[in-house]
Amino acid sequence: MLLTLLLLCPLSGMLIVLALPRTAVRAIRAASLLSTGAALIVSLALLRGFQTSQAAMQFHERLSWIPQLNIFYSLGVDGISLPMVLLTALLGFLACLASSSITERRKEYYFLYLLLEVGMLGTFLALDLFLFYVFWEIVLVPMYFLIGIWGGGRREYSAFKFFVYTLAGSLAMLLAILALYFRAHTFDMVQLASMGHTLDLAFQRLLFFAFFLGFAVKVPVFPFHTWLPDAHVDAPTPISVLLAGVLLKMGGYGFFRIAYPILPEGAQWFAGAMAILGMINIVYGAFVAMAQTDFKRLVAYSSVSHMGFVLLGLSSFNREGLNGALLQMFNHGTITGGMFLLVGVLYERTHTRQLDAFGGLGARVPVYAGLLTFFSLASLGLPGLSGFVSEFLSLIGAFGIWVWPTMISVTGIVVAAAYMLRVMQLVLLGALNERWRTMPDITPLEVASLVPLLLVILALGCYPLLMLQIQEGSLQQLLAHVLGR
Amino acid sequence: MGTVILESLRAWWPEAILSLGALLVMVLGASTRRSQPALGVAWAAVLASGAALWRLHAPAGTGLFFGLIVSDPFSLALRWIAWGSVAIVLLLLMASREMERTLRGECLGLVLLVGVGLMLMAEANHLLMAYLSMELVSLSSYVLVGCLDEPRSAEAALKYLLFGALSSGIMLFGMSILFGLTRALAFPDLLRASAALDGSMTHALRVAVALLLAGLAFKISMVPFHMWTPDAYEGAPTAVAALLSVGPKAAGFALLLRLMTALEPAWPSLAPLALWLAVVTMTLGNLVALAQTNVKRLLAYSTIGQVGYLLIGVAVHTRFSLEGLLLYLVAYLFMNLGIFACAVAVVDDAGSESLEAFRGLARRAPGVALLCALFLLSLAGIPPLLGFFGKFLLFGAAIEAHLAVLAIAGIINSAVALYYYVNIIRLMYLVAPATSSPLATGPAIRWALGVCGAGTLLLGLFPGALLGMLRASAVVNLL
Repeated sequence: MLLTLLLLCPLSGMLIVLALPRTAVRAIRAASLLSTGAALIVSLALLRGFQTSQAAMQFHERLSWIPQLNIFYSLGVDGISLPMVLLTALLGFLACLASSSITERRKEYYFLYLLLEVGMLGTFLALDLFLFYVFWEIVLVPMYFLIGIWGGGRREYSAFKFFVYTLAGSLAMLLAILALYFRAHTFDMVQLASMGHTLDLAFQRLLFFAFFLGFAVKVPVFPFHTWLPDAHVDAPTPISVLLAGVLLKMGGYGFFRIAYPILPEGAQWFAGAMAILGMINIVYGAFVAMAQTDFKRLVAYSSVSHMGFVLLGLSSFNREGLNGALLQMFNHGTITGGMFLLVGVLYERTHTRQLDAFGGLGARVPVYAGLLTFFSLASLGLPGLSGFVSEFLSLIGAFGIWVWPTMISVTGIVVAAAYMLRVMQLVLLGALNERWRTMPDITPLEVASLVPLLLVILALGCYPLLMLQIQEGSLQQLLAHVLGR
Repeated sequence: MGTVILESLRAWWPEAILSLGALLVMVLGASTRRSQPALGVAWAAVLASGAALWRLHAPAGTGLFFGLIVSDPFSLALRWIAWGSVAIVLLLLMASREMERTLRGECLGLVLLVGVGLMLMAEANHLLMAYLSMELVSLSSYVLVGCLDEPRSAEAALKYLLFGALSSGIMLFGMSILFGLTRALAFPDLLRASAALDGSMTHALRVAVALLLAGLAFKISMVPFHMWTPDAYEGAPTAVAALLSVGPKAAGFALLLRLMTALEPAWPSLAPLALWLAVVTMTLGNLVALAQTNVKRLLAYSTIGQVGYLLIGVAVHTRFSLEGLLLYLVAYLFMNLGIFACAVAVVDDAGSESLEAFRGLARRAPGVALLCALFLLSLAGIPPLLGFFGKFLLFGAAIEAHLAVLAIAGIINSAVALYYYVNIIRLMYLVAPATSSPLATGPAIRWALGVCGAGTLLLGLFPGALLGMLRASAVVNLL
């Protein structure tokens, strides 16, 4: 029942917020913090009870939901979903902490925020394709409102673009789910995976492509990425954190959980394209990030680049690559989540995100400068911090198979170093811009929302086995299943 | 003969009560100018008819009134839908301010008569009864559309009448050819006689069936017989438009399915036509809806789009698609009447039918806006709402029958439709209101919204029970 409890935390918080009066702002915020905090605690309890030696699903729950169609309320975690669940619960709590910057229509905000968390957690927990699809789509609606109401810039346009892009992609996925159902008469992912190799090749290719469309929009894979910079930039800070930290992972997770195990031959057929697309994501994202003058937009494009490593790792079909890809998803969530929080801190004080409007802040706000330096270095892949490990593993895994794409991808890391150092130079170094002479340093609350991420990044950078041992068993099994050994 | 009628009446109490109520309400309307007594009687009739429906258990395929109508689980499901739409529309009529002056006995009586006609359409087992029930619905609707004291209402009624008369004529022509070919009027006889036809006569049969379908296409707003829909909705009182958008569509689909079964031999050659008409209907409805700025016209085109999805269930023609069709009709009942209820509230308040009237509704009436968003998302097919589950079944049926083109067309249309549905949500939530005064809603509209909202959300979360009930009604052989 631990997994249902995990879903119930934000769900009950949502109902409490709905019942509270509009003016009880403190109570609403307290209820939201409590429920996201409770979700974090439950997810840590999951981590405690998780058996790393076991590759199969754990904490499995299964209840009949729509018996006529063989649809179950079926939840479970394994080494692939547990990191995602932890990431979601962690960022869900920290972004809720950072939501103090939201000052209007707070009841609606926290209601939608908690609904969003239910959807995100459910997506990573569901073992039934129908249930998965329901959670997957539930995420869209609150996200639309959260960007559209509390965002900045062209928020209506960005929110709508996000909604339409993702819905169009997921409708393709819906067709694939239906086609699978009428082949196998089940929505159970584990059962479907066990039938994976019996599906004929043409069918697998077609379905893989349909699933790919659904997941590619979320990851996002070039050329489906154009919603991302708009949505990330115009969303309010805590929502940007969740968008980059969790929503993008839903796409990558879909490959691990659905497309690869259920359509193994289709996945291998697509591996080459996946490697090329990963390469394009890495290099293109990095160069476009380099050209940005808006801090948030730069971080958004760096996400495109970093998610490319996930694709590259996925295309390798070996132990290193898959481990790297999954770890990269987790690490990107913590690092970029932190970056967006830092951009938000700066924006709140200066109301600008133009990189050349800053300068010399290093001396003025030393604590902020230290944190920004740390997260920037993590983002550019400094050894000793977590981003390096996962990017390195992805590259190693892919190098043996896709030599040229991997070699070109490596240049992405060089460019990443360039744009991240440029950020530090423009924001922290140089002469202090007189406008920010009285800028206050980062508050303890803001530090509190960053420190957990910092610790995780440092810990995984020094001792990546912490996470790798969780993933290892399930990924080994996935690999053996996909390759048919 | 007397015993047959008495026996039949036992399964026909819901309609009998509703008809008597309708006549009584009309008489009351003629004798007093106050609407209270007529409303009271109308509600009494509706509730009594609902109770009679509740107590009814329909064994499969009982012919009533000498085989003119048939009472089976399928018609029972459709009778419930007809009853539900009449009951909710009564609530909307009570709430609607534009109807205040005209809400007298005549109007209420006609609404109840539409209900009787709808139920009869679902049960008709004889060409004569099919025609009579459709005319009962049509004639009552013509008057209802024109019951406002405005020129555009009269214009809409006239347009509706002319279109309706034309399609009735075409349909009658088809029926007469059919009778000439088969010398049968009862559906079971039609099936037997049409199966025995051979040679060149099968071509004549096809022509007759096509003409017959034209009449039904008019009722369900299928392309190319959809043109009346936006004009009639725009001119009609909003509550009447709500009735037209749900009741006749559901009953029309029921009759269509039954006729299809009776004329099974002609079906294989018409199936491709049905498939493309479904695709064209949904595409046209959704594309034209994109350009609408009037709420009622937008909902009219949205209806046409939704009819396109429903037609998937007809074109696929399997047991599974029938289940999907029935479930989607239930979903459509709740979500479309729900969105019309919101439209009644908003249009009454703003006095304008422009989409702009929805601006900032979230601040003026958070509850109405939330439910309105719920209905719109359900129409757009977002889980976990009932509209999604209906679409899921319909698209699934298409894939199961290897008609993926229907499912793909449906998917693309869903993405297109999202634009205009979400546009209303955008206006409600993201745009500042023109006036800050809260929008007051009466108890009637709240009841309507509550019932529709509960149906859309709760049945969407737990569709198993509903699906189980409908499964019993979804038998492919309806004769």
